[in-house]
Amino acid sequence: MNRLLTSRRRPATGVAAAAIATGALLIAGCGGSSSSDAAASTGSAKKGGTITVLSAGDVDHIDPGQAYYSFTYEITYATQRPLLAFKPDSVATTPDLAAQMPTVSKDGKTVTVHIRNGVRFSPPVNREVTSADVKYAIERGFAASVANGYTPNYFGDLVGAPTKAPTKVPSISGIQTPNKTTLVFKLKHPEGVFNGALALPVTAPVPAQYARKYDSKTISDYGLHQVATGPYMIKANASGSINGVGYQPGKRITLVRNPNWDAKTSWRPANANEIVFKEGFQDPTVTAKQILSGSADVNGDTPPPPAELRSIMANSSEKDQLFFTPAGGSRYIALNTRKAPFDKLAVRKAVAYVLDRNAMRLTRGGPVDGRIATHFIDPSFKDKGFVQAGGNSFNPFPSPNFGGDVAKAKALMRQAGYPSGMYTGPQLTQVADNTPPGSNTAQVVAADLAKIGLKLKTISVTHSTMYTRFCNVPRNEPNVCPNVGWLPDFHEPQAILDVTFNGKSITTVNNSNWPLLNVPSLNQAMDRAERILDPKARYAAWGRIDKAVTRTAAAVPWLWEEYPTLFSSRVTPSPELWNSGGPDVTFMAVK
Amino acid sequence: MAPLLEIRDLHVSFRTRDGVVRAVDGVSTSLGRGETLGVVGESGSGKSVTALTVMGLTRLPNAFVGGQIVFDGTDLLELSNEALQHVRGRRIAMIFQDPLSSLHPLYKVGWQIEEAILAHEDVSRRAARRRAIDALAAVELPNPRDLVDSYPHQLSGGMRQRAMIAMALVLNPDVLIADEPTTALDVTVQAQILELIRGLQKEFGTAVVLITHDLGVIAETADEVAVMYAGRVVEQGPLETILEAPEHPYTWGLLQSIPRLDTPRRERLRPIQGTPPSLIHAPSGCHFHPRCPYAMPMCRTIDPELLESDEGHVVACHLPVDEKRRIWRELRPREADAA
Amino acid sequence: MATAPSVRLERPRRSPTPRALRAALTSSLAIYILRRLVWAVAMLVVVSALTFLIFYLFPSADPAALRAGRQATPELIAQIRRALGLDRPVYEQFYLYMKNLFLHFDLGYSYQNNISVRSEIFSRLPATISLTVGAVVVWLAIGIPVGVISAVRPRSRLDRVVMGAALVGISAPVYWLGLVALFLFASDIGKVPLFGGAGSYVPLTQDPAGWFSSLVLPWFVLATAFAAFYARMVRGNLIDVLGEDYIRTARSKGLTERRVILRHGLRAALTPVLTIAGLDIGILLGGAVLTETVFNIPGVGRFAYDSIVNSDLPSIQGTVLFGAAFIIIANLIVDIGYALLDPRVRY
Repeated sequence: MNRLLTSRRRPATGVAAAAIATGALLIAGCGGSSSSDAAASTGSAKKGGTITVLSAGDVDHIDPGQAYYSFTYEITYATQRPLLAFKPDSVATTPDLAAQMPTVSKDGKTVTVHIRNGVRFSPPVNREVTSADVKYAIERGFAASVANGYTPNYFGDLVGAPTKAPTKVPSISGIQTPNKTTLVFKLKHPEGVFNGALALPVTAPVPAQYARKYDSKTISDYGLHQVATGPYMIKANASGSINGVGYQPGKRITLVRNPNWDAKTSWRPANANEIVFKEGFQDPTVTAKQILSGSADVNGDTPPPPAELRSIMANSSEKDQLFFTPAGGSRYIALNTRKAPFDKLAVRKAVAYVLDRNAMRLTRGGPVDGRIATHFIDPSFKDKGFVQAGGNSFNPFPSPNFGGDVAKAKALMRQAGYPSGMYTGPQLTQVADNTPPGSNTAQVVAADLAKIGLKLKTISVTHSTMYTRFCNVPRNEPNVCPNVGWLPDFHEPQAILDVTFNGKSITTVNNSNWPLLNVPSLNQAMDRAERILDPKARYAAWGRIDKAVTRTAAAVPWLWEEYPTLFSSRVTPSPELWNSGGPDVTFMAVK
Repeated sequence: MAPLLEIRDLHVSFRTRDGVVRAVDGVSTSLGRGETLGVVGESGSGKSVTALTVMGLTRLPNAFVGGQIVFDGTDLLELSNEALQHVRGRRIAMIFQDPLSSLHPLYKVGWQIEEAILAHEDVSRRAARRRAIDALAAVELPNPRDLVDSYPHQLSGGMRQRAMIAMALVLNPDVLIADEPTTALDVTVQAQILELIRGLQKEFGTAVVLITHDLGVIAETADEVAVMYAGRVVEQGPLETILEAPEHPYTWGLLQSIPRLDTPRRERLRPIQGTPPSLIHAPSGCHFHPRCPYAMPMCRTIDPELLESDEGHVVACHLPVDEKRRIWRELRPREADAA
Repeated sequence: MATAPSVRLERPRRSPTPRALRAALTSSLAIYILRRLVWAVAMLVVVSALTFLIFYLFPSADPAALRAGRQATPELIAQIRRALGLDRPVYEQFYLYMKNLFLHFDLGYSYQNNISVRSEIFSRLPATISLTVGAVVVWLAIGIPVGVISAVRPRSRLDRVVMGAALVGISAPVYWLGLVALFLFASDIGKVPLFGGAGSYVPLTQDPAGWFSSLVLPWFVLATAFAAFYARMVRGNLIDVLGEDYIRTARSKGLTERRVILRHGLRAALTPVLTIAGLDIGILLGGAVLTETVFNIPGVGRFAYDSIVNSDLPSIQGTVLFGAAFIIIANLIVDIGYALLDPRVRY
């Protein structure tokens, strides 16, 4: 879920955004519970009942082979069994469809996975899952009709993986199935994060014979006819179609028990009988109140607005229903290093000094929204890279109370060749969200940059336009992209830093290396780090890379966000630490 | 015989933002059964307001009405609105100047006549419809059976006025008030309408109050004439008397100002000089004195009373009678001159 | 000798003669309707073209990139662009769209989730229709009597209070009003739980009581501004009408004041009001976005808004076309209806 801002949190409506927490008192972590407190339900929880999840938007793709939003994952991981998955209170991968953790050969180029026996597809397929189904699932991710966005990135190193998107589902020689329960992956180079990639939904099995007829269309509609392997399935009719049955786009998604799921093969409790995702709830205050009143059980995407959060945290009975989960990534201001003046390190450093991160955080609700970021790997990584990147004490551009240091900034500008300490060149542009809070953040950025003479013209467009037409297209990219950020696909530092700061990742469209950073020494360091198989060494390497990237000031991180999740009092809470706090409906129970 | 309708010292004034408009400033007149009273005067003389007040249509929040209107023994001004509704349309009916705007554009003509019937009598719709057709026939409209389903805009001006008359007379009222009934019509149609009214009056014995600014209309139809100026009746009497021996300078002016076919071409028209007075700030004393060529000092201060000068002839003027007659003898249009 | 009884077969009554039918078809009304319908089709084509133009001229998100996801390679995006037909020139895309529309009534498939746009719109129409029709009933039921009462007592204290309240009603933002209504009366989060809250809509055929309860608050919220506007309009029209000569005639006939005001006055004053109501219905059937959003009613309006945010051109086109069609048809009905209401109007 790299798509920050659209993954869980919708751009807040004007109502919520207007409630800027003036003097917000509570710092994230105090007052609300942190997600590590929410113990996963034990088997003694009550079975039965219906859980209701409210969301503003719809899933990005209902097809598990395409799903990418963290909101979608709340459904995907409940209905599908990738090779590996996550328990709610952990960021470590654990075997789901796999019987044990994969074994990696010494040279790192062969990864072997054994899958469990007794896992069956839901009706109308019904039969037992085999390794060939996992092979097909990954292969279909490459096909143009499915077009999985991350498959080429993580599985492109497989021997025989296509380099261009084929029109038909390809057969990849690097995925071998010596028997019904064994998968052998052959990689061209060792890939340190391959383990994490095996936890992505694209590895959930898909029955080839059943799915081919859908995948062979120009745009696959397997998603509307998908079968499930998880404890729940999207309600379908007799022929397997979910359209209009369990999946009403933009309105409602209904999960019912998968009759072919065997509890003995899974560590998921699956307490509730039915889970209903009701969509279209745009107003976050109304959503929060409905959860508190018990007419709904949890927010699937939109968090309660700051005003509601404060009132909940002040209420002794309600505050235990609220959980804050680190998002896993950071928000940052990207500076276009290909265009003057941000091609100069000194100017970029000046920007890093002058930005008032407190004011920026206030635009999103203040301290309740998260911690001020000083580098890119966020605290939830703990010793998987956060500590190695210097933890909380690594802050190369310090200022009193994170309020910005104009004097230092001006000094750096003088170093850069502007004797007055103020920029004297032509006007610069930034492309920003046209709705709060992104538009407010952009305003703060413009005001701060003006303090060192950098005048910004702001072009305001919708969030998706900002990405797909401007910031993701190097040719159209402005000098500043203030509303960008990145969440990792799984908790590996590579997933935070590689696509975003490796020069090799720069593409002509859909580019996520917004600063267009291309430092050969950094690129090489990253390529080397990708090959490290030993976790400790890998985290140390990436920790160093994080520091180095931060020091280039090509992008200025400012927020390690904490997402609030509110549960009603009639359910046991279970926020997913690995998924920005989204509810794990397979662990929740109706009290 | 007691008059059918007698108006005694009627005052009607309206409170407006510019001041109090004294539209009717002391009017007394009467109408006998079957009689035709012509009320003549220029715009603003109060003739329409008087008629509307008789109908009870000036009962507005900003209106003050004083005096008495005795109809068949009952003072209409004392009646409640509900009681007055039984009189209106049934015993006293009114027709107006512009039949196109006075008939409801969205309802059929027949329906509007039926409505008048059904408001006052408990008959079936079908019976009402038959009577409506009969009424339309009585006013000499062709194809009354088709006309009854027509809309007002589908008829010509004259036909519309006939339909209005039919609607007014369908319940055989005692009094018909016609406010400028022919002003909006062609001259030829005018004559037809007046003849129609005369004919119906004879047939049904209706008393008619004919309000107009046109002396020619009066000459054709009225038995009795009342001349009004600035909210007052200044002269009233039988038709011949008013035409032959008027005794009020305003009446003289009216008669003189009529263009005649036998007037020599070179001779100028003789309007009454001056302009009609403001009804908010009416002239003191005799309202006509600013325009009167024979005004005396006392005219400015003392209101002249309506006094009888002949049998059935009343005048409100301070001039001595001999003086008036002498002046009129000089002024009257001489038939001899025209020859 | 007995003969078989001759059975006289009665000739069955003939159906309307061809002559009568021909007369009906060539009547001025029929010709008028036909002419208007031809124009309507032309108008819809123009609207469609304009939508295409706006979508391509103004910066909006790239649907292929949105569909491909954050890590997709440029080649993949190009593939998707080809698959969606986005690589063809604009006029060719437009031509294909029009062809599908007119030959198959096919509105295309959403870029987002590949669902048929036509089926999406049709599945959402009942909600929008429910909302619109109910709101119309409410605002006419409130606005007309209030307008009449105010007109009959112009400038009285009651009139001033009511017209002042109407001004507030027109000025209050719908979204805010909706939130206030929810916080006051929603059965789940309101202070006085009375009616269904946000997201409680169920179709009429499924649960009539639930359907009704879920729509009461949206009806009143949506109707507020309209009721206020219509009250003022009725008041103004009626005051004007009551000054007309035919009202004086009606009174002079001895009719009761109530009959004069309602049968004569209101009848004339309502004609423009009803035609405007017809137009408003047409517009609302295109979707009352704000009301549908705050109450989470799954109608066409929300769908239109979502498709704009997602740069989902087929869905945008579909909702725009439907909205335009409703407005055009409403215009046509109103124009014909006006002739029925006012006999002076001719074609």
